[in-house]
Formats: sequence, C-alpha cells, structure tokens
Amino acid sequence: MFNKNKKWVGLIAFVLVVSVVMAGCSGGNKENKSSNGGASQTPADSIESKQPESEGKKEEPVKLIWYTIGTPPTDLAKVNDEINKHILPKINATVEMKLLDWGEYDQKMKIIIGSGEAYDIAFTSSWANDYFGNSKKGAFYELDSLIEQYGQGVKSALNPAFLEGTKVNGHNYGLPTNKELPQQRVFRFNMEMVDKHGLDIANVKTIDDLEPLLKAFKEKEPGIAAIPGTPMEFLPFDYPITDLPFIGVAMDTQDYKLINTWDTPETMKYLKTMHKYYEAGYLPMDVATLKDAGDYFKTGKWLTDTADTQPYADNLWSGDAGYKVVSMPMHDPIAFNWSVAGALQAINAKSKHPEKAMEFLNLLYTDAELINLVDFGIENVHYKKTGDNTKDAIPDSGYGFPAFSVGNLMLTYLNTADPADKWDQFKKFNDSSKNSPLLGFQVDTTNITTELANLKNTKEATYKSLFSGTLDPETNIPKITQKLKDNGLDKVMAELQKQIDEWRAKQ
Amino acid sequence: MDSPSKGKLRDIHRLPAAWNGLLHLIAGGFAFVCVFPFVFVVILSFTEENSLLVNGYRIFPEEWSLFAYSYIFRTGDQLLKSYGVTVFVTIVGTALTVLLTTLYAYSLSRKNFKFRGFFAFFAFFTMLFGGGLVPSYIVVAQLLELKDTVWALILPMTMSAFNILVLRTFFLTMIPDAIIESGKIDGASEFRALLSLVLPISLPGIATIALFSTLAYWNDWFNALLYIDSNKLVPLQALMMRLYNTMQFLIQNSTLLNSGQSRELIRSLPQETARMAMVVLATGPIVFAYPFFQRYFVQGLTIGSIKE
Repeated sequence: MFNKNKKWVGLIAFVLVVSVVMAGCSGGNKENKSSNGGASQTPADSIESKQPESEGKKEEPVKLIWYTIGTPPTDLAKVNDEINKHILPKINATVEMKLLDWGEYDQKMKIIIGSGEAYDIAFTSSWANDYFGNSKKGAFYELDSLIEQYGQGVKSALNPAFLEGTKVNGHNYGLPTNKELPQQRVFRFNMEMVDKHGLDIANVKTIDDLEPLLKAFKEKEPGIAAIPGTPMEFLPFDYPITDLPFIGVAMDTQDYKLINTWDTPETMKYLKTMHKYYEAGYLPMDVATLKDAGDYFKTGKWLTDTADTQPYADNLWSGDAGYKVVSMPMHDPIAFNWSVAGALQAINAKSKHPEKAMEFLNLLYTDAELINLVDFGIENVHYKKTGDNTKDAIPDSGYGFPAFSVGNLMLTYLNTADPADKWDQFKKFNDSSKNSPLLGFQVDTTNITTELANLKNTKEATYKSLFSGTLDPETNIPKITQKLKDNGLDKVMAELQKQIDEWRAKQ
Repeated sequence: MDSPSKGKLRDIHRLPAAWNGLLHLIAGGFAFVCVFPFVFVVILSFTEENSLLVNGYRIFPEEWSLFAYSYIFRTGDQLLKSYGVTVFVTIVGTALTVLLTTLYAYSLSRKNFKFRGFFAFFAFFTMLFGGGLVPSYIVVAQLLELKDTVWALILPMTMSAFNILVLRTFFLTMIPDAIIESGKIDGASEFRALLSLVLPISLPGIATIALFSTLAYWNDWFNALLYIDSNKLVPLQALMMRLYNTMQFLIQNSTLLNSGQSRELIRSLPQETARMAMVVLATGPIVFAYPFFQRYFVQGLTIGSIKE
C-alpha cells in the first residue's frame, strides 16, 4: 500500500512538472513568434533596419496596440475593422483599439506600464495616466525626431503653444489633441431664475459683483441656495504643482518669486467675501462636505455656479440642462501647463514600431475621414450626415468615443445644432490665449516627496472648508499658514524656487 | 411555535415569557438593522427618478416607477452578458476550488504523507509573503497569457492558502484516523478512502469552502479590472465597479475634463434609480443561494461520526 502511495505521488509530481514545462515552452514560443513576426529583435535594431525595408513596400503589415480612455462601446470591434480597412493601404499597419473605462484607466495603465506589457500607443494627460511623470520616468518614446520625420501634419495642425507647453526637459513625449488650448473660468447663470426675478448679470466679473444678485435672490427664493456648491476660485496666480494651490507666482510676475498665495491680500479678500456669503446663507450649510453630482443642474434649483468654458459652451450647457444657461467670464483665456496637457497620445518607449505609431497618429491630425470614423463611428450606422460638414448621432447606436482625447478635433463634423463657425471660434479662442508664467515648467519632486505628501494632506483637510466660506479666514489663515510651515512649506518653496530659476536660466 | 401546550408542565429550557419577548425583540431589531439598508435600496430602485432628485431618499417615495428596471433591460444586453460571465465563473470556479482545495488539504492532513511539512509550508508561505500586484500581473497576463480570457477570472483565485488551512484543520479534527485505517484494512486505496469514507462525512467542511469561494467569485471585480479589456467578459461586479469608478472619476475631474464633454458623459451614465436597480439585480441571486448553504454551516457545528 505504501508503494501505491508513492506511485501516486510520483505520477502527480510528473504531471505537474510536465505541464509547467509545457506552459513555459508554449509561452516562450508565442513570444518569439510575435517578436519575429513584426520586426527584428531589439527596438534599436528595428529603427535602423526599418527605413530601407519600407521602401521595398513588401514588409508584413504591423499591428499597433492602442490603449485609450473611454467606456468601451458595443460596436468597438466593428468600427475598429473599418479603421483598419482605411489605414492599411495608407501606412501598411493596423491598430487594435483597447478602450479602458474612465475610472479604470489610470490604475490599469500603471500596471501595464509597470509590468512592461507590450503596447504601442496610449492616452495620457495631466489628470489620468500622468503625462509628465511617465515622461520623466522614461515610459514614453521621445518624439522629437519622429515628429520631424513623420509628424509634419501634426505640427501644422497644432497651435505651437501645445507642443511647447507639453515639453518635458526640452523634449516632446506626447501629441496633444487639437482642441481648446487655454483655460477660461466663468460664472454660469440659470437664466430661468435670472429672468424670473429680473436680475442683471451683465456686469458680473468677480465674486464681489455677485452680491446684489445673491441678496435679491435670497429674498425671493429663500428655500434655494443660490450657489449650490463650492465655486472654483480664480485668483491671479500660477501654481507649479496644481495639487498645491498655495505655492505660486503672481500671474504678472517679473522676477518669478514664489509666494504663499493663501497669505496674500487677494486671497484674503476673496475668502472674506466667500465667508460673508456663507454666513448670509447664499450657500448650503453643508457645502464643505457636499459632493457635487450635478443634481442641481437637473432640478434647476440654483442661481449661479462656476465652470471652465470653451467657445459655444453656453449652448452645450443649455442643451444639457433643458433651460437657458448663460456664462460670464472671470478673466481672459490663459494657457496653463495642465490645460495644455489636457489630452495627449504617447508612444510606448519600448514599442517595436514607433515610426508606424507616429504615422498613424499623424493621420489622426490630417485625415478627416479617419478621425471622424474614430470619433463618431460608421456613417449611417452610428451617425447620419446632414450636410457637408454636419452630422447627427443616431441614438443608442452602440458607438461612442471621447472625441477630445485624440487627434484633430477641428477636422470632425459638427452637430447639426452647432454654429457653423464653431471650429473657427476655437482657433480664435486658442490664438487669443496668453501663456501663463510657468508654462513649460515641470517640477522634479524627488527631493521633496514627503513634504509634498504632508502638504497635500494639509490642503485636503482645509481647502474645501476655507474656499467654500465655511471658515472665517481672518482667524484661520494664520493657523493654516503655520500648519503649512510645520509641514515643510519653506523647504518645498526653496526647492521649487531653485528649479524655477534654473529653468528660466536655460530659456 | 413556542407553545403548543398551555396546560402542560413548563419546559425547564424555556425562558420566562417576558425575557423571551425581550430577546426576540433585540434579535429582531438587530436583524432589521442589517436588512433595512438593502430594503431601502430596493425601494429606491422603484422610485421615480425626478421625485428622487427633488425629495432625496425616502422610504415612502412620492411616486413609484419601474423605469429603472426597464432602462436596464432595454440597454442591458451588457448586463445579461455580465450575468452570464459571473454565473459561469462562479460555478466553474467553485467546482475547481473545491476539487483542488480538497485534494491539497486532504494530503496535508494525512500523517503518513512524507512531504507534508514542505507542502504545508509551501501554501502557508503565500499567506505571509505575496508577490505583489505587478509580478502577479506579469505571471497571469504575460507568462500564462490569460489576459482577456475567462480563465484569468477563475485561475488566480482557485487556490487560497486560507481555504487549504481551514479544510486541513477540518480533516484533522473531524476525521478520525480510525476511519481511514479501517478502510485500509478492508483494502481501500488512498483515493478510495477519500472518496468513499472521508468525503461523505466531510460535506460541512467542503460546503464551507464552497460557500467561501462562491462568495469570492461572485463578488470579485479586481481580477476583471486587471485582466479583462473586452466587454464580452466583464463580470457583474466589475461592471458595477466600472460604473461607480467612472462616476466618481467624472465628478472629481469634471473641471479638468473638457467641460462640455464631461457633462455629456455624466448624462450617458445610468441614473440614480437605475444604479440602485443594478445593485438589486446583482445581489439578488446570492441572497437566495445563501440559505441553501447555510444549512451546512449549522450541520458543520454539530456533526460527529464516531464516538471514541
């Protein structure tokens, strides 16, 4: 019986070993195949050997793997096939689109990049799949020479500030979408309420201008909070780290000296106004802990809030709300680092076919048929054309794609309801933008990571209650300033100042 | 239930009526507190969307509506697909887990198994030191090439050191050596002993493992997050996590995203009531499956086969 036992053990062990070995082998084989199928062994080799080959025109079509953001639509495979039919004759390559949902994108790309998984193109930005961080880490391909060689279409389509503002250590690692370039913050008004109570919004430019309106509104609609959530402030500063909106330089700075912007007269004035409004009951009592899900937008129980605009945004908002929404700008359009890096496509540093990827991306900026296919799907299946340059989406047709995430928005069809000069207005808007003082500057955080984390915690703990007006700034600002100092504010500012000075010296 | 016999002598095990009532009340109250949130979600899922927005959450809504469910089933071939994936993964996964865990744990429980110590350590070690996210991703996605296959949802969760240790302890304490020995005397092989003697009286232990793994498979969304890109294979919970994460994401980043776009995206997400309905649909089956397993839990506490 003991012998029998031993036999079983031996047999199982043998089966296990064999299966492990087989799995290993088959995995290895496939990997070899895929790497031989496309190009040669190392990326460096492939770049050198590629060019002469492409003249021969007989190479195997390359398959590019493209990760991009957005809820994966039902008909993705169908549209992907159409895209491949369209681009195969042009650049002898196909793409495999992999859309990852909004909430997952950042996390998944971290793992994909961290594990060294093979992909060619990926969406990146200042708010998901961190463009600046990944570029510095060397996760993305340095595009300078590729843009020169294969990306002339990109260059001619983009406002130069796009490529200038997304440089990391002097090089480009991603291609920004051609869309609105600057940021412009606005007060939005619920016109139903404005008209109903005969309010005058024509002269509103700052938060202080709101006071008479809020007062009148409070008297007439006591049950509704005029400002339904914490408004986004606009203070005349530029911040090297967007997450820490208290280390900044003045917008009109000459000497680029960093200051604690929460400890300035401008901020104090703003916060005092907010506090006054809060005390007067113009905001909900629990505004500091409120999460804005946009519900008030649906119910119409609000008077004013804030947003970032783009040309004809009022039309979008009105259409969405179901009533008229009108906005008043707080300032002129300004191009910030993060607004410039709102949406980019980057090439994997380890991609085996960086030139093909670049050729494909270039098509997205120059080939109207392709970009419309990517953004809206197949004609008469997912949308209907209503004019030369206009279309209407077919509802529930099974395809949706975030158009702002890729390529040249200016080549896409307009909705029938859009004004015909929409893209011209976008160009004008972009041309009118001024550069923020720190445009093009990127922070190197290696020496100050702990301090940054501590400061960020302090910010999380205080920001909302301060800027919603819940706290009295006069008594709290000194306390918070002290807390920031305790958490290393001075060290961070000194380090950032050094980096900014070095950056300016190089320019 | 408690008193078919008013006239008879009082059972000495019975509590005085007042105490009995009080304890029932406490237990009932606790049960209610546990069940209420779910009942509330069910109510919300039947609320009319607009009255929800205007009035907030209410136990007795102003207006009832089936809209949320019709919305889900209208746009919901994704939901049905996900249901299918979840059911498949749960059934196959549980079967595999039970099979592998039983075999492994039984071997570890046999005292005459030579490599017992090694294999026990082998399993236990993974409880102390995990490889971490990226290495396990590399193994599953690149080494085994399971990415975007249904096996990526099943295999990573089949062997859990915790389950093995639980079941081994069960075998060690509940199955006396005498039973196996008696089988051996009658000429049974190890497999025969396991199949004919040990398994029939181990049902409670195995059912416990089965319940653990059923719940784990049913609730798993993380493996899908990591390994599944295509819509065909997204399980139910992952679908919900996607919706939830996406919503959170859009709300948090609505100012950073191109404002017109993010509004459009928020609009395309299911509404509050529809989300509640999804919760109901996703929890429903497992709520109904639970009582069937629960029987074994009770048995597991009381079973015995041999008196020594």
